[in-house]
Amino acid sequence: MRERAAAIDATAADWAARVDRGPLSEAEQAELDAWAAADPRRAGAYARARAVSAHFDRARALGDDFVPARHPEARRRSRRRFLAGAGGLLAAGFAGAGVFALSRLNGRVATHKGDVRRVALSDGSAVTLNTDTAVRQAYGDKVRRVVLIRGEALFDVAKDAARPFDVVAGPVRVRAVGTSFTVRILPDDEVVVMVREGVVEVRRGDASPVRLAADRAVTVAASRPLAPVTLPAGGAERATAWRQGMLDLDGLTLAEAAGEYARYTDRRIRIADPAVAAMRVTGLFSMSDPDGFARAAALSLDLKVTSEPDGLRLDPRS
Amino acid sequence: MGAVSDERAVWLARHALPAEPALRAWLARQPRFHLEVDDIVQETYAVLAGLERVDHIVNPRTYMFQVAKTVILQALRRRRVIAFETLAAADSLEIPDDQPGADVVLADRQELGRVAALIAALPAKCREAFTLRKVLGLSQKEVAARMGLSESTVEKHIGRGLRQVMNAMGRGGSGRIAASRKRGARTEPPAEDARARSRD
Repeated sequence: MRERAAAIDATAADWAARVDRGPLSEAEQAELDAWAAADPRRAGAYARARAVSAHFDRARALGDDFVPARHPEARRRSRRRFLAGAGGLLAAGFAGAGVFALSRLNGRVATHKGDVRRVALSDGSAVTLNTDTAVRQAYGDKVRRVVLIRGEALFDVAKDAARPFDVVAGPVRVRAVGTSFTVRILPDDEVVVMVREGVVEVRRGDASPVRLAADRAVTVAASRPLAPVTLPAGGAERATAWRQGMLDLDGLTLAEAAGEYARYTDRRIRIADPAVAAMRVTGLFSMSDPDGFARAAALSLDLKVTSEPDGLRLDPRS
Repeated sequence: MGAVSDERAVWLARHALPAEPALRAWLARQPRFHLEVDDIVQETYAVLAGLERVDHIVNPRTYMFQVAKTVILQALRRRRVIAFETLAAADSLEIPDDQPGADVVLADRQELGRVAALIAALPAKCREAFTLRKVLGLSQKEVAARMGLSESTVEKHIGRGLRQVMNAMGRGGSGRIAASRKRGARTEPPAEDARARSRD
């Protein structure tokens, strides 16, 4: 069984006390060396014990008339726990994106590359804009319409049976009553719709609509009929991890992952070797740290990393 | 391995110990690695103690965090099975900024108050030996003569005292860490500061 840190500290303190007494004999030094060499934690605990001992040399400054027994701490030893617990204040989470009122932005709101922004709509619905995205609000009496001009957005729709919620993305219209779904315009003008909750209707032009339920997604392209697919368990949540500043790269090739990062940042991850480009990655990554992702991928897949002015290059190790 | 020069011990006392509470707090916020904070801290000290030189280290606090990060990566790589994302997360760990408020280094006078409080909190015999040795500056041999004890008993008292203050300054000292954090958040200072102030 692994030696516990507290046990190591105890032995380390004893050694520091021994050194504090006077120089070690050769045999003692050999014994200390052998003990410390067996585990780096021991060597570290001993160094720390020596540091703490050195730290307490400053107690000389307390002066000869310092009487520790009269110090309040000496009487308070049993109720010292009063300070515990304040550390929890530190809990740092991803700072939630600020909520903007769309009405104050003349109905149009956009994000720059790398930004994610949540926008509250007047009816209680909300739109979360992913990187490099623009939407326009066009609410009417009969229908709540939002136009996705470019990019990707998540729509959390407040229930209002009398006034359906429409997202218009080019020729594609997605209609919901109360639900949560994303719409994304791909560079080639294909539109991807993914449903987190509820049901939406997806319609392209005048064709008849397709109903799309939770955890289903469909890619709308001019040339193909609508063929919804079912997402794996948890897929919808992972696909919207960008709301928390994370990217879901599970199952993508390195080339595809590099392409995903290109959506969020101008830092480039370059991969020339096709075998490297085809390697699979897994996991959720911070969208703001393409270099960190590339280095981690290199670490895990044993690749060579080269820094370039605008990013990193990944190559096989020769 | 077991050689730590007095100079290095003093350097660690001056630069590593004050940064340790922040390092522990930072490590405690990384539960996904399933690593023991104590283990990482001990190994970090091992690296700092084993450095040939330290005079090139401009920012010891940042350096210490970087060492800890390397220790985490090494520990993860030693595992037989490791999720890619865990390694990636460790590699992209961000070292907190070294700005006022991010870390709290106690002013000398406050630190002296803390030293006094830590000594006062020791068990009686241990406290007496520790006070004679560290406050009056007697040698352990002189402490033994003064207390009428054997030198090896004094050594044991010093060792016990060290163990307790080490504990208070690290693992068991979450109250102390919280205290310095509270000060960082500009709320009321913990009690021993007030005492340190009232004394002078």
